[in-house]
Amino acid sequence: MARGSKTSEPPDGLGRFARVWRLTATGLGLALVFTGTVWGQDSDFPFGPFRMYSTRDSPDAPVVTTQIEATTVSGRHLTISGPQTGLRRAEVEGQLGRFVADPALLGSLAVAYQRHHPDDPLVRIEIVRHDYPLRQGQATGVERTTVLASWSRP
Amino acid sequence: MTRLARWWMEPVPSGRVAVFRVLVYLYVPLDVFLFTPWVAQHGGLPTALYQPLTIGRLLHLPTPTHTVVEVVRWLLVATALVAASGRAPRLSGTVVFALYLEWMVVAMSYGKVEHDRFAFLVALAVLPTVGATRFGDRSRSASAGWALRMVQVAVVLTYFLAAWAKIRFGGWDWPTGATLARAIVRRGTVLSTWMLDYPTLLVAGQFLMIGAELCSPLLLLARSDRARCAAVGLLLGFHVSVFAGITIIFLPHVVAIMSLLPSERLRLPGRAERSVQPARDARRDALA
Repeated sequence: MARGSKTSEPPDGLGRFARVWRLTATGLGLALVFTGTVWGQDSDFPFGPFRMYSTRDSPDAPVVTTQIEATTVSGRHLTISGPQTGLRRAEVEGQLGRFVADPALLGSLAVAYQRHHPDDPLVRIEIVRHDYPLRQGQATGVERTTVLASWSRP
Repeated sequence: MTRLARWWMEPVPSGRVAVFRVLVYLYVPLDVFLFTPWVAQHGGLPTALYQPLTIGRLLHLPTPTHTVVEVVRWLLVATALVAASGRAPRLSGTVVFALYLEWMVVAMSYGKVEHDRFAFLVALAVLPTVGATRFGDRSRSASAGWALRMVQVAVVLTYFLAAWAKIRFGGWDWPTGATLARAIVRRGTVLSTWMLDYPTLLVAGQFLMIGAELCSPLLLLARSDRARCAAVGLLLGFHVSVFAGITIIFLPHVVAIMSLLPSERLRLPGRAERSVQPARDARRDALA
Protein backbone atom coordinates (compact mmCIF):
# COMPACT_ATOMS: atom_id res chain seq x y z
CA MET A 1 0.00 0.00 0.00
CA ALA A 2 3.11 2.25 0.13
CA ARG A 3 2.61 3.26 -3.49
CA GLY A 4 -1.00 4.24 -2.80
CA SER A 5 -0.14 6.45 0.16
CA LYS A 6 2.05 8.74 -1.99
CA THR A 7 -0.86 9.88 -4.10
CA SER A 8 -4.17 11.24 -2.87
CA GLU A 9 -6.26 8.76 -4.86
CA PRO A 10 -4.69 5.28 -5.18
CA PRO A 11 -5.53 3.21 -8.25
CA ASP A 12 -7.75 0.79 -6.28
CA GLY A 13 -10.12 3.52 -5.17
CA LEU A 14 -9.61 3.47 -1.38
CA GLY A 15 -7.97 6.41 0.37
CA ARG A 16 -5.45 6.12 3.17
CA PHE A 17 -8.01 6.43 6.00
CA ALA A 18 -10.31 3.86 4.35
CA ARG A 19 -7.44 1.39 4.11
CA VAL A 20 -6.17 1.97 7.65
CA TRP A 21 -9.52 1.45 9.37
CA ARG A 22 -10.25 -1.64 7.28
CA LEU A 23 -6.93 -3.22 8.23
CA THR A 24 -7.44 -2.23 11.89
CA ALA A 25 -10.92 -3.82 11.92
CA THR A 26 -9.51 -6.94 10.26
CA GLY A 27 -6.76 -7.26 12.87
CA LEU A 28 -9.15 -6.65 15.75
CA GLY A 29 -11.65 -9.22 14.45
CA LEU A 30 -8.93 -11.84 13.95
CA ALA A 31 -7.52 -11.18 17.42
CA LEU A 32 -10.96 -11.59 19.01
CA VAL A 33 -11.85 -14.81 17.20
CA PHE A 34 -8.46 -16.43 17.86
CA THR A 35 -8.56 -15.39 21.54
CA GLY A 36 -12.07 -16.83 21.82
CA THR A 37 -10.98 -20.10 20.23
CA VAL A 38 -7.99 -20.52 22.54
CA TRP A 39 -9.39 -19.24 25.85
CA GLY A 40 -13.09 -18.47 25.35
CA GLN A 41 -16.29 -20.36 26.10
CA ASP A 42 -19.63 -20.70 24.30
CA SER A 43 -20.97 -17.74 26.28
CA ASP A 44 -18.46 -15.48 24.47
CA PHE A 45 -20.57 -15.72 21.28
CA PRO A 46 -19.93 -14.61 18.53
CA PHE A 47 -16.23 -14.93 19.35
CA GLY A 48 -16.39 -18.16 21.34
CA PRO A 49 -14.75 -21.42 20.23
CA PHE A 50 -16.32 -23.27 17.27
CA ARG A 51 -17.07 -26.34 19.33
CA MET A 52 -19.56 -28.16 17.11
CA TYR A 53 -19.05 -31.86 17.90
CA SER A 54 -15.71 -30.98 19.51
CA THR A 55 -15.92 -33.25 22.56
CA ARG A 56 -14.53 -36.73 22.25
CA ASP A 57 -16.94 -39.52 23.10
CA SER A 58 -15.28 -42.70 24.27
CA PRO A 59 -16.18 -45.65 21.99
CA ASP A 60 -17.14 -47.62 25.11
CA ALA A 61 -19.10 -44.96 26.99
CA PRO A 62 -22.89 -44.80 26.56
CA VAL A 63 -24.55 -42.22 24.29
CA VAL A 64 -26.65 -40.01 26.54
CA THR A 65 -29.78 -38.08 25.61
CA THR A 66 -32.25 -36.32 27.85
CA GLN A 67 -36.01 -36.02 27.57
CA ILE A 68 -38.54 -33.94 29.41
CA GLU A 69 -41.42 -36.16 30.44
CA ALA A 70 -44.57 -34.65 31.88
CA THR A 71 -48.07 -35.33 33.19
CA THR A 72 -50.98 -32.96 32.61
CA VAL A 73 -53.94 -32.09 34.85
CA SER A 74 -56.14 -34.47 32.85
CA GLY A 75 -53.65 -37.31 33.47
CA ARG A 76 -52.02 -37.43 30.03
CA HIS A 77 -48.34 -38.51 29.90
CA LEU A 78 -46.24 -36.86 27.24
CA THR A 79 -42.69 -36.12 26.16
CA ILE A 80 -42.23 -32.37 25.87
CA SER A 81 -40.51 -31.12 22.71
CA GLY A 82 -38.94 -27.71 22.11
CA PRO A 83 -41.88 -26.06 20.32
CA GLN A 84 -44.27 -26.94 23.18
CA THR A 85 -42.42 -24.78 25.70
CA GLY A 86 -40.00 -22.65 23.68
CA LEU A 87 -36.92 -24.29 25.25
CA ARG A 88 -35.22 -26.83 22.95
CA ARG A 89 -33.74 -30.14 24.05
CA ALA A 90 -30.17 -28.87 23.65
CA GLU A 91 -31.08 -25.82 25.76
CA VAL A 92 -32.50 -28.02 28.52
CA GLU A 93 -29.23 -30.01 28.39
CA GLY A 94 -27.22 -26.77 28.43
CA GLN A 95 -28.97 -25.67 31.64
CA LEU A 96 -29.14 -29.19 33.10
CA GLY A 97 -26.90 -28.29 36.04
CA ARG A 98 -29.33 -25.53 37.05
CA PHE A 99 -32.38 -27.81 36.80
CA VAL A 100 -30.71 -30.56 38.86
CA ALA A 101 -29.51 -28.09 41.53
CA ASP A 102 -32.87 -26.33 41.70
CA PRO A 103 -35.75 -28.51 40.38
CA ALA A 104 -38.18 -25.67 41.20
CA LEU A 105 -36.84 -24.05 38.00
CA LEU A 106 -38.82 -26.72 36.12
CA GLY A 107 -41.87 -24.76 37.31
CA SER A 108 -40.77 -22.09 34.76
CA LEU A 109 -41.07 -24.69 32.03
CA ALA A 110 -44.58 -25.51 33.23
CA VAL A 111 -45.44 -21.81 32.98
CA ALA A 112 -44.00 -21.67 29.45
CA TYR A 113 -45.98 -24.79 28.46
CA GLN A 114 -49.17 -23.32 29.85
CA ARG A 115 -48.76 -20.21 27.64
CA HIS A 116 -48.92 -22.51 24.61
CA HIS A 117 -51.51 -24.96 26.03
CA PRO A 118 -53.78 -23.12 28.49
CA ASP A 119 -56.44 -25.92 28.52
CA ASP A 120 -54.39 -28.77 29.98
CA PRO A 121 -51.46 -27.49 32.10
CA LEU A 122 -48.69 -29.67 33.50
CA VAL A 123 -48.72 -30.95 37.08
CA ARG A 124 -45.50 -32.95 36.97
CA ILE A 125 -42.24 -32.68 34.99
CA GLU A 126 -39.24 -35.00 35.00
CA ILE A 127 -35.93 -34.67 33.18
CA VAL A 128 -35.03 -38.21 32.25
CA ARG A 129 -31.63 -39.34 31.00
CA HIS A 130 -31.49 -42.21 28.51
CA ASP A 131 -28.19 -44.12 28.23
CA TYR A 132 -27.51 -46.21 25.14
CA PRO A 133 -24.33 -48.22 25.80
CA LEU A 134 -21.81 -48.65 22.95
CA ARG A 135 -19.21 -51.37 22.59
CA GLN A 136 -16.18 -50.23 20.57
CA GLY A 137 -18.28 -47.58 18.91
CA GLN A 138 -21.05 -49.99 17.98
CA ALA A 139 -24.63 -49.72 19.25
CA THR A 140 -25.63 -52.54 21.62
CA GLY A 141 -29.40 -52.01 21.52
CA VAL A 142 -29.57 -51.71 25.33
CA GLU A 143 -31.23 -48.67 26.97
CA ARG A 144 -31.13 -47.42 30.59
CA THR A 145 -33.09 -44.50 32.06
CA THR A 146 -32.41 -42.28 35.08
CA VAL A 147 -34.55 -39.44 36.48
CA LEU A 148 -32.27 -36.41 36.94
CA ALA A 149 -34.73 -33.85 38.28
CA SER A 150 -38.43 -33.80 39.01
CA TRP A 151 -40.99 -31.17 39.90
CA SER A 152 -44.64 -31.44 40.98
CA ARG A 153 -47.14 -28.59 41.01
CA PRO A 154 -47.28 -27.50 44.68
CA MET B 1 2.77 -5.71 4.96
CA THR B 2 2.11 -4.03 1.63
CA ARG B 3 1.37 -7.31 -0.09
CA LEU B 4 -0.78 -8.50 2.78
CA ALA B 5 -2.81 -5.27 2.79
CA ARG B 6 -3.28 -5.57 -0.96
CA TRP B 7 -4.51 -9.15 -0.56
CA TRP B 8 -7.17 -8.04 1.93
CA MET B 9 -8.38 -5.25 -0.36
CA GLU B 10 -7.93 -6.84 -3.75
CA PRO B 11 -10.49 -5.12 -6.03
CA VAL B 12 -13.32 -7.34 -7.29
CA PRO B 13 -16.29 -6.63 -9.59
CA SER B 14 -18.75 -4.64 -7.48
CA GLY B 15 -21.71 -6.51 -9.06
CA ARG B 16 -20.65 -9.42 -6.87
CA VAL B 17 -21.64 -7.48 -3.76
CA ALA B 18 -24.95 -6.49 -5.36
CA VAL B 19 -25.99 -10.15 -5.67
CA PHE B 20 -24.48 -11.27 -2.35
CA ARG B 21 -26.29 -8.44 -0.59
CA VAL B 22 -29.68 -9.62 -1.87
CA LEU B 23 -28.96 -13.21 -0.78
CA VAL B 24 -27.86 -12.17 2.71
CA TYR B 25 -30.70 -9.74 3.41
CA LEU B 26 -33.41 -11.98 1.95
CA TYR B 27 -32.12 -14.83 4.11
CA VAL B 28 -32.91 -12.80 7.25
CA PRO B 29 -36.75 -13.07 7.07
CA LEU B 30 -36.44 -16.73 6.02
CA ASP B 31 -34.26 -17.35 9.07
CA VAL B 32 -36.68 -15.58 11.40
CA PHE B 33 -39.89 -17.18 10.16
CA LEU B 34 -38.94 -20.46 8.53
CA PHE B 35 -35.60 -21.93 9.61
CA THR B 36 -35.27 -20.88 13.26
CA PRO B 37 -38.79 -20.08 14.52
CA TRP B 38 -37.66 -21.19 18.01
CA VAL B 39 -35.83 -17.88 18.49
CA ALA B 40 -39.09 -15.92 18.64
CA GLN B 41 -40.44 -18.50 21.13
CA HIS B 42 -37.82 -17.40 23.65
CA GLY B 43 -39.96 -14.32 24.18
CA GLY B 44 -42.56 -16.56 25.84
CA LEU B 45 -40.14 -18.10 28.34
CA PRO B 46 -40.00 -16.99 31.98
CA THR B 47 -36.98 -14.72 32.46
CA ALA B 48 -35.54 -17.16 35.04
CA LEU B 49 -34.39 -19.30 32.10
CA TYR B 50 -32.38 -16.42 30.53
CA GLN B 51 -28.62 -17.02 30.82
CA PRO B 52 -27.02 -13.84 29.40
CA LEU B 53 -23.99 -14.10 27.10
CA THR B 54 -20.85 -12.04 27.72
CA ILE B 55 -21.96 -9.57 25.02
CA GLY B 56 -25.39 -9.19 26.62
CA ARG B 57 -23.81 -8.34 29.98
CA LEU B 58 -21.15 -6.00 28.53
CA LEU B 59 -23.67 -4.03 26.47
CA HIS B 60 -26.39 -4.18 29.16
CA LEU B 61 -28.84 -5.60 26.63
CA PRO B 62 -32.41 -5.96 27.90
CA THR B 63 -33.70 -9.32 29.20
CA PRO B 64 -35.77 -10.74 26.32
CA THR B 65 -39.43 -10.33 27.19
CA HIS B 66 -42.31 -10.95 24.81
CA THR B 67 -42.38 -7.23 23.86
CA VAL B 68 -38.61 -6.95 23.33
CA VAL B 69 -38.58 -10.04 21.10
CA GLU B 70 -41.57 -8.97 19.00
CA VAL B 71 -40.27 -5.41 18.47
CA VAL B 72 -36.82 -6.68 17.44
CA ARG B 73 -38.34 -9.33 15.17
CA TRP B 74 -40.56 -7.01 13.13
CA LEU B 75 -38.03 -4.17 12.92
CA LEU B 76 -35.40 -6.69 11.80
CA VAL B 77 -37.57 -8.16 9.05
CA ALA B 78 -38.71 -4.73 7.81
CA THR B 79 -35.18 -3.26 7.64
CA ALA B 80 -33.79 -6.44 6.05
CA LEU B 81 -36.33 -6.09 3.22
CA VAL B 82 -35.32 -2.44 2.74
CA ALA B 83 -31.66 -3.47 2.69
CA ALA B 84 -32.37 -6.29 0.22
CA SER B 85 -33.90 -3.75 -2.15
CA GLY B 86 -30.56 -1.93 -2.16
CA ARG B 87 -31.98 1.34 -0.76
CA ALA B 88 -29.64 3.34 1.52
CA PRO B 89 -27.31 0.36 1.80
CA ARG B 90 -25.03 1.86 4.45
CA LEU B 91 -27.81 2.96 6.81
CA SER B 92 -30.21 0.05 6.34
CA GLY B 93 -27.34 -2.45 6.45
CA THR B 94 -26.00 -1.05 9.72
CA VAL B 95 -29.44 -1.21 11.34
CA VAL B 96 -29.95 -4.80 10.14
CA PHE B 97 -26.57 -5.79 11.59
CA ALA B 98 -27.39 -4.28 15.01
CA LEU B 99 -30.86 -5.86 15.12
CA TYR B 100 -29.67 -9.26 13.95
CA LEU B 101 -26.92 -9.24 16.59
CA GLU B 102 -29.58 -8.56 19.23
CA TRP B 103 -31.70 -11.33 17.65
CA MET B 104 -28.76 -13.69 18.11
CA VAL B 105 -28.48 -12.68 21.77
CA VAL B 106 -32.14 -13.68 22.15
CA ALA B 107 -31.37 -16.95 20.34
CA MET B 108 -28.21 -18.03 22.16
CA SER B 109 -28.87 -16.98 25.77
CA TYR B 110 -30.86 -20.03 26.89
CA GLY B 111 -28.23 -22.74 27.30
CA LYS B 112 -27.25 -23.54 23.70
CA VAL B 113 -25.05 -21.57 21.32
CA GLU B 114 -25.13 -22.32 17.58
CA HIS B 115 -21.90 -22.17 15.58
CA ASP B 116 -23.38 -21.75 12.12
CA ARG B 117 -23.56 -17.97 11.84
CA PHE B 118 -20.17 -16.42 12.49
CA ALA B 119 -19.51 -15.81 8.78
CA PHE B 120 -23.10 -14.59 8.28
CA LEU B 121 -22.66 -12.05 11.09
CA VAL B 122 -19.39 -10.93 9.52
CA ALA B 123 -21.26 -10.49 6.22
CA LEU B 124 -23.90 -8.31 7.91
CA ALA B 125 -21.13 -6.29 9.59
CA VAL B 126 -19.11 -5.58 6.43
CA LEU B 127 -21.80 -5.18 3.75
CA PRO B 128 -22.74 -1.65 4.91
CA THR B 129 -19.14 -0.54 4.26
CA VAL B 130 -19.75 -0.95 0.52
CA GLY B 131 -21.84 1.81 -1.01
CA ALA B 132 -24.48 1.44 -3.73
CA THR B 133 -23.85 -1.38 -6.21
CA ARG B 134 -25.49 -2.50 -9.47
CA PHE B 135 -26.22 -6.01 -10.71
CA GLY B 136 -23.80 -7.19 -13.36
CA ASP B 137 -21.38 -4.32 -12.72
CA ARG B 138 -17.90 -5.59 -13.57
CA SER B 139 -15.99 -2.47 -12.58
CA ARG B 140 -13.60 -3.41 -9.80
CA SER B 141 -13.83 -1.96 -6.34
CA ALA B 142 -11.48 -2.38 -3.39
CA SER B 143 -14.24 -1.78 -0.83
CA ALA B 144 -16.22 -4.67 -2.37
CA GLY B 145 -13.05 -6.75 -2.37
CA TRP B 146 -12.38 -6.17 1.32
CA ALA B 147 -15.98 -6.95 2.33
CA LEU B 148 -16.10 -10.23 0.39
CA ARG B 149 -12.61 -11.21 1.58
CA MET B 150 -13.70 -10.75 5.20
CA VAL B 151 -16.67 -13.08 4.66
CA GLN B 152 -14.53 -15.67 2.86
CA VAL B 153 -11.96 -15.64 5.68
CA ALA B 154 -14.79 -15.98 8.24
CA VAL B 155 -16.12 -19.01 6.31
CA VAL B 156 -12.67 -20.62 6.31
CA LEU B 157 -12.08 -19.81 9.99
CA THR B 158 -15.38 -21.52 10.88
CA TYR B 159 -13.84 -24.78 9.62
CA PHE B 160 -10.24 -24.20 10.67
CA LEU B 161 -11.05 -23.07 14.21
CA ALA B 162 -13.54 -25.95 14.55
CA ALA B 163 -10.57 -28.31 14.14
CA TRP B 164 -8.73 -26.28 16.79
CA ALA B 165 -11.72 -26.61 19.16
CA LYS B 166 -11.80 -30.39 18.59
CA ILE B 167 -8.16 -30.59 19.68
CA ARG B 168 -8.75 -28.20 22.61
CA PHE B 169 -11.89 -29.89 23.99
CA GLY B 170 -11.68 -33.39 22.59
CA GLY B 171 -7.91 -33.87 22.69
CA TRP B 172 -5.49 -35.11 20.03
CA ASP B 173 -7.32 -38.45 20.02
CA TRP B 174 -10.65 -36.84 19.02
CA PRO B 175 -10.68 -38.66 15.64
CA THR B 176 -10.60 -42.10 17.31
CA GLY B 177 -13.60 -41.32 19.52
CA ALA B 178 -17.27 -42.05 18.97
CA THR B 179 -18.45 -38.52 18.21
CA LEU B 180 -20.11 -39.44 14.89
CA ALA B 181 -21.65 -42.58 16.42
CA ARG B 182 -23.14 -40.42 19.16
CA ALA B 183 -24.44 -37.89 16.64
CA ILE B 184 -26.08 -40.65 14.58
CA VAL B 185 -27.64 -42.33 17.64
CA ARG B 186 -29.10 -38.97 18.64
CA ARG B 187 -30.18 -37.63 15.24
CA GLY B 188 -29.49 -40.26 12.61
CA THR B 189 -31.56 -40.80 9.43
CA VAL B 190 -32.16 -43.88 7.26
CA LEU B 191 -29.18 -42.70 5.23
CA SER B 192 -26.80 -42.86 8.21
CA THR B 193 -27.99 -45.32 10.89
CA TRP B 194 -26.51 -48.30 8.99
CA MET B 195 -23.07 -46.81 9.62
CA LEU B 196 -23.41 -47.59 13.33
CA ASP B 197 -22.54 -51.20 12.44
CA TYR B 198 -19.22 -50.05 10.91
CA PRO B 199 -17.36 -48.09 13.62
CA THR B 200 -14.14 -48.12 11.56
CA LEU B 201 -15.93 -46.21 8.81
CA LEU B 202 -17.05 -43.57 11.33
CA VAL B 203 -13.51 -43.22 12.70
CA ALA B 204 -12.23 -42.79 9.13
CA GLY B 205 -14.91 -40.11 8.66
CA GLN B 206 -13.64 -38.31 11.75
CA PHE B 207 -10.03 -38.32 10.47
CA LEU B 208 -11.26 -37.00 7.12
CA MET B 209 -13.33 -34.30 8.81
CA ILE B 210 -10.59 -32.85 11.03
CA GLY B 211 -8.05 -33.18 8.19
CA ALA B 212 -10.29 -31.26 5.80
CA GLU B 213 -10.98 -28.59 8.41
CA LEU B 214 -7.25 -28.07 8.98
CA CYS B 215 -6.72 -27.76 5.21
CA SER B 216 -9.63 -25.33 4.74
CA PRO B 217 -7.38 -22.20 4.42
CA LEU B 218 -6.36 -23.62 1.02
CA LEU B 219 -9.80 -22.49 -0.20
CA LEU B 220 -8.50 -18.93 -0.08
CA LEU B 221 -6.00 -19.83 -2.79
CA ALA B 222 -8.81 -20.48 -5.30
CA ARG B 223 -8.31 -17.52 -7.63
CA SER B 224 -9.93 -18.37 -10.93
CA ASP B 225 -13.72 -18.22 -11.24
CA ARG B 226 -13.77 -21.92 -12.03
CA ALA B 227 -11.77 -22.84 -8.90
CA ARG B 228 -14.06 -20.74 -6.73
CA CYS B 229 -17.17 -22.38 -8.17
CA ALA B 230 -15.56 -25.78 -7.51
CA ALA B 231 -14.87 -24.71 -3.90
CA VAL B 232 -18.51 -23.69 -3.45
CA GLY B 233 -19.63 -27.04 -4.91
CA LEU B 234 -17.33 -28.94 -2.56
CA LEU B 235 -18.57 -27.08 0.52
CA LEU B 236 -22.23 -27.40 -0.46
CA GLY B 237 -21.69 -31.13 -1.01
CA PHE B 238 -20.29 -31.45 2.51
CA HIS B 239 -23.16 -29.55 4.13
CA VAL B 240 -25.84 -31.45 2.19
CA SER B 241 -24.24 -34.81 3.18
CA VAL B 242 -24.19 -33.77 6.84
CA PHE B 243 -27.85 -32.82 6.54
CA ALA B 244 -28.70 -36.18 4.97
CA GLY B 245 -26.91 -37.99 7.82
CA ILE B 246 -27.83 -36.08 10.97
CA THR B 247 -30.39 -33.42 9.82
CA ILE B 248 -28.17 -30.49 10.76
CA ILE B 249 -27.43 -27.82 8.17
CA PHE B 250 -25.47 -24.62 8.68
CA LEU B 251 -27.80 -22.49 6.53
CA PRO B 252 -26.55 -18.97 7.36
CA HIS B 253 -23.01 -20.27 6.85
CA VAL B 254 -24.07 -21.67 3.46
CA VAL B 255 -25.33 -18.19 2.50
CA ALA B 256 -21.92 -16.78 3.49
CA ILE B 257 -20.18 -19.38 1.28
CA MET B 258 -21.83 -17.67 -1.73
CA SER B 259 -19.38 -14.79 -1.22
CA LEU B 260 -16.94 -16.93 -3.24
CA LEU B 261 -19.10 -16.94 -6.38
CA PRO B 262 -18.34 -14.70 -9.39
CA SER B 263 -21.99 -13.65 -9.28
CA GLU B 264 -21.48 -10.49 -11.36
CA ARG B 265 -21.76 -12.86 -14.33
CA LEU B 266 -25.37 -13.65 -13.45
CA ARG B 267 -27.75 -12.43 -16.13
CA LEU B 268 -30.94 -11.12 -14.60
CA PRO B 269 -33.67 -10.35 -17.12
CA GLY B 270 -34.67 -6.69 -16.98
CA ARG B 271 -31.86 -5.75 -14.62
CA ALA B 272 -29.12 -6.50 -17.13
CA GLU B 273 -30.50 -3.96 -19.62
CA ARG B 274 -30.40 -1.12 -17.14
CA SER B 275 -26.91 -1.88 -15.87
CA VAL B 276 -25.52 -1.81 -19.41
CA GLN B 277 -27.14 1.55 -20.19
CA PRO B 278 -24.71 3.93 -18.41
CA ALA B 279 -21.70 2.34 -20.11
CA ARG B 280 -23.37 2.78 -23.50
CA ASP B 281 -24.19 6.41 -22.67
CA ALA B 282 -20.60 7.05 -21.65
CA ARG B 283 -19.34 5.63 -24.93
CA ARG B 284 -21.74 7.85 -26.89
CA ASP B 285 -20.55 10.87 -24.90
CA ALA B 286 -16.94 10.00 -25.66
CA LEU B 287 -17.69 9.79 -29.38
CA ALA B 288 -19.58 13.09 -29.46
